[in-house]
Amino acid sequence: MSAEKPKEEKRCRVGAFLCVPDTRPTRIILWLVAIAIVSFVIGFGILAASGAFSSGAGHATTPFSKTAWILSNTTEFPLDGATAGNVSVNMGAGEITLNGGAADNDLLEVTVFSKAPEWQPEYSSSLEGLVKTVRITDKGHTGKAWFAVDSTNRWEIRLADRVPVAADVRIGAGDCRLVLGTLNLTSLDVHAGAGDTVIDFNGYHGGRFDAVIMHGIGDLTLRIPASGNFRITVVQGVGDIAGTGFILNNGAYTPVGFNPALPVNEIFVKQGVGVLRLEMV
Amino acid sequence: MLQNEQEYIRILRDRLEGTLPAEDLEDLLSDYREHFRLGKADGRSEEELFRSLGSPEEVAKEIRATHLVKKAEHTCSCRNIFHAVVATLGLGLFNLVFVLLPFLLLIAMLLFVFVTGVVFTLVGPAAFVYALLQLMGLPAFSIWLSPLAGIFLSVGITAIGLLLIIGDYYLARFFYLLGIRYLKWNIRVITGTVNE
Repeated sequence: MSAEKPKEEKRCRVGAFLCVPDTRPTRIILWLVAIAIVSFVIGFGILAASGAFSSGAGHATTPFSKTAWILSNTTEFPLDGATAGNVSVNMGAGEITLNGGAADNDLLEVTVFSKAPEWQPEYSSSLEGLVKTVRITDKGHTGKAWFAVDSTNRWEIRLADRVPVAADVRIGAGDCRLVLGTLNLTSLDVHAGAGDTVIDFNGYHGGRFDAVIMHGIGDLTLRIPASGNFRITVVQGVGDIAGTGFILNNGAYTPVGFNPALPVNEIFVKQGVGVLRLEMV
Repeated sequence: MLQNEQEYIRILRDRLEGTLPAEDLEDLLSDYREHFRLGKADGRSEEELFRSLGSPEEVAKEIRATHLVKKAEHTCSCRNIFHAVVATLGLGLFNLVFVLLPFLLLIAMLLFVFVTGVVFTLVGPAAFVYALLQLMGLPAFSIWLSPLAGIFLSVGITAIGLLLIIGDYYLARFFYLLGIRYLKWNIRVITGTVNE
């Protein structure tokens, strides 16, 4: 009996809660558990403290960088004295973000995120009188290996805020986010094949423009300022139109602050398959 | 149709030779001979004795399965448990569902846990190195949102990987013992000795 007692005490020495055998493997396991817990607590604590998990950070659930292994390349197109611009963007597949915020002397800046430098799009620019034209065209998958077809192809485009711009955005497949509230548009053409598209006019105080939005398959969200003079004509294929607060008049949607006596920004939307969301902001 | 006792014994010997140790086999066969001898002494015919014992092929299968399960119980090894499972499969076609399927699912689960553990154990140090490179300012290796956090998280990932591998070992041992008990119960049910 006396020989059994030390063994019993040894068994329960590790802790009152964990009455496990105090053997070498047990100690290793407990050490590993402790290391894992402490490491994760400190690691995620650092991330939380640095704001990486905040809602605006865009990395809500992962400690990994979204741009891991992705090379970025920024190209700037100066105004060269132009007072207006034509911007044409043509992407085969990927993700486009277009908004204001280019440097004062630039018509636009493009940052391309991709896995290899040779996948950069083709650029062309010309100046005719006081109008600068810039074209950004995807070279397609011809230069990409078979294993890279689904790899990242993201273009972040920043346009000049003060210069009147005619924008033409075409995307075959992928998501498209156009935040145009700070821009001064003269026209807008958007052609999207498949994917979700968000076009945000929140805060728009630029000149009058006409917009044509041809959307194939996917959801389309239009954010229209409540006080803006916008009129949206919709030809809807298969899918619902979700929108509250808009006034439907002769097949066109207008926000509550619409005034026909003032210049009207006309938006024509043709939607194939998917939900059209009209959001008043 | 069996002719006589000698033929019964011969078939048993043929089926069990190589599976049972020679000494055990001889003991077993002498038990059967004794059974025949006592039966005959009681005035029972050979045909009656054959019927009560069952066919020698089926008896050999049952003995073989029981022996291999016991062997797997005494000496834990992949080879032994595999032989035990195969021998038990031979007792009935329905064991494809009741033995083979759970066995394969268990192997798949243990393999999955092991591979995950190995991947974590290998990825952890690699991620640790990349966190250090990122701290040194090499943007091409910036896989972490925060390299400092990455150092701690990669240590955690490695620890989780090692825990998975160790856990898989204990899980395999647990299921090995559970599997042996299940095979023994399965044999008892099939041979009708469950209540004996």
